[in-house]
Amino acid sequence: MEHPLGVTTGQLRPNGAASQGPLVSVLLPTYNRRRYLPAALASALTQTHRELEIFVIRDGGQEVADVVGSFRDPRVVLIDRKDNRGKPYSLNEALRRAQGQYVAYLDDDDAWYPHHVETLVRTLETQTDCQAAYSDLYRVYCEIQPDGERLVRSKYVEISRDFDRFLMLYFNHVLHVSLMHRRDLLDKTGPYTENLNILIDWDITRRMAFFSDFHHVLTITGEFYCPLNQSDRISDVRRRDSEDYLRNILTIRTNLPPKPWPKVDELSIIVAMDRLDQNVGQMLMRLWRHTFYPYRLYIPLPPADLSRLNIAMPNVVLVPVEPQSSVEERVDVAMLQAEGKYVAVVPSGTQPHDLWVEDPVHALIQNGTNREAFLIVGKDGTRGGIVVRRSDLLRARRAFTHLSVEASLTASGIRVRPPREEELPFQFDEALRYGKLAETDGDWDAAARMFERTGQRYRNELWMKTMAARAHFEAGNRERAGRLSREVNRVRPTIDTLLLEAKVCRWERDFPGAIRLLNRAAQGLAGCMDPEAHRWETGVRCEQTLGGV
Amino acid sequence: MDIMNTNEIEKYKLTQHYEVLRELGDCYTSVGDYGQAQRCYEKAALLGPDEPGPYVGLGVAALQTGKLDDAEIAFRVACRLDAKCAKAHAGLAMVAQQRRDYPRSFDLYMKSLELDSDNITALLGLFQVSCEMGSFAKVIYYLQVYLDMHPGDVSVMFALSALYLKDGQTEQARDMLRNLLALEPGNQDAVNLLEEVEHTMAGVGQA
Repeated sequence: MEHPLGVTTGQLRPNGAASQGPLVSVLLPTYNRRRYLPAALASALTQTHRELEIFVIRDGGQEVADVVGSFRDPRVVLIDRKDNRGKPYSLNEALRRAQGQYVAYLDDDDAWYPHHVETLVRTLETQTDCQAAYSDLYRVYCEIQPDGERLVRSKYVEISRDFDRFLMLYFNHVLHVSLMHRRDLLDKTGPYTENLNILIDWDITRRMAFFSDFHHVLTITGEFYCPLNQSDRISDVRRRDSEDYLRNILTIRTNLPPKPWPKVDELSIIVAMDRLDQNVGQMLMRLWRHTFYPYRLYIPLPPADLSRLNIAMPNVVLVPVEPQSSVEERVDVAMLQAEGKYVAVVPSGTQPHDLWVEDPVHALIQNGTNREAFLIVGKDGTRGGIVVRRSDLLRARRAFTHLSVEASLTASGIRVRPPREEELPFQFDEALRYGKLAETDGDWDAAARMFERTGQRYRNELWMKTMAARAHFEAGNRERAGRLSREVNRVRPTIDTLLLEAKVCRWERDFPGAIRLLNRAAQGLAGCMDPEAHRWETGVRCEQTLGGV
Repeated sequence: MDIMNTNEIEKYKLTQHYEVLRELGDCYTSVGDYGQAQRCYEKAALLGPDEPGPYVGLGVAALQTGKLDDAEIAFRVACRLDAKCAKAHAGLAMVAQQRRDYPRSFDLYMKSLELDSDNITALLGLFQVSCEMGSFAKVIYYLQVYLDMHPGDVSVMFALSALYLKDGQTEQARDMLRNLLALEPGNQDAVNLLEEVEHTMAGVGQA
């Protein structure tokens, strides 16, 4: 059966062989994007992995039944709803009906390459320690014509970030369109949060990170579009509302999935205070705003004080203690209720700031089984508490109840110290930031060195090699730029690196070589995958190559 | 769908699509496929209507195929888009040179070199036009400036040696050629010119 877009539909493989492999549920919510929906749907239907159930969820807006019907493919299920209830609601609606072993996501204005599903299914079938996998995508810069046609101008793989759990807890680095996960992973995380209106994808990937590693596949399997002259993206508008944006972020950060969490150890924060003073409220607000590591907050106070506390924060445990008890005794009572593997004991005067508790927590996680505890250090260098393993703290408190928390730890042989520079989180991001700063300053040599070193020390090697190659070229180190871009292109060619290698070839006066590379880049821009890398032709429109003009 | 911020728009103003086409045009020009080059440059010009580069390329392709009028139009467009485009001025100079309008060509090469003293095409063009016109002083100056910046460029060293000889500065010509041959002992043109210089110097000595 042939669709006007050239899509061959049906349950059989192109060569007529019987269907094989696990069923994949594809979720494609749509709202007022009739113009682009056919291309998105066609890209799902032309997947080399044929065992799909594709849920197109109309979340109100323009009617799409005729668009979906025109494909006449039994694998497509239309959930046709007139009222607009938001993306998370739409995804949950489809997930309730999804039968697939795996789930994949596609936006109504984006497109997968035909090997997208196959690539990720193969990964999840072989990397069985991971219940989620993601690939890389081109960010496509395009001009939108008055009739809505997208004219492609550039395609970049701007982020090719290896999975980093600590980063995932802080912010998202996995594009939802590139994600596939086991269906039963959602039984552990719970459904999409329907009162969120942005960062919906991060909310779920963050919760997934509590249960599984994510496998990063270094293959480009699709594209998402970025207009040069306008945006119809709802989240762009909503992001401009900073209050609402912060509300969403705080909701996500405090959204804890049901236990047990095999991949994340909870932090119990115990606020140590002898009385309820007026600064506590401000301190708690700052703590809520500046803490991203999964925590539960324990507030040990006499019942009279607890009744005066009016806290809207989630994940707070109010611990009644004797009115006459000392601060240490209150900490001891709270600790008996605390469930976290790690405990932060924080005086009420502490002023939480970004990474205030994550710095010592990261140091503790890195630290393995060494008998050490880490100080929380304020922006001005003052001490703001201690982060320690709960088991170590319990042992210390039992042995030395009469001492202060820090003294009891020291007395039981646990070294208390501030974290060292190399123990802090986000080393990669810091190095990347320095490299980009050097670029901005025009110091291309320094930028190239920084990117190369970063790739060697902190993973993300291919991404860093790509950035180093470009920086070397700008610095005039053509040979080094050529060597790096060739290395990258052997593994995973992109438009950018093909163009860079072509420039080096031209500089070397290898004009036929440069022309060959430029034609490959032109093919990629025109909509075809790199034929030398993947050997397939797209079912979506594939224009004449530019080199063949 | 996503949208970029203003800085990113600036960064991507010249797109990969444009860049690939312009690079392809340059490569096809280098291998002598001027038809392909022209088609690439024309498409690049559509994508970067404010950029002189594709018009310079179109001018070069037209020049190479003997279409002097087309070349002149293309170079003029490039000059209009960027009055400081040294390559466009050099292109116009080459058109004038081919039309044997040496004074105009000389002025245009000079203008090109004022904008970019590194422009080797303009430098060698100026040398050729100067030989035709028999005026060497300005060319010698520009070639010396160029060599200060690019010591060891044997093609310019050779041109400068020839100009020294024509201008009667035989000792400078001899020294320059000896330097050249130290860098490139097998350069037969330089060997021949050095013989001529030494012959001239011997003749002067005898006189």
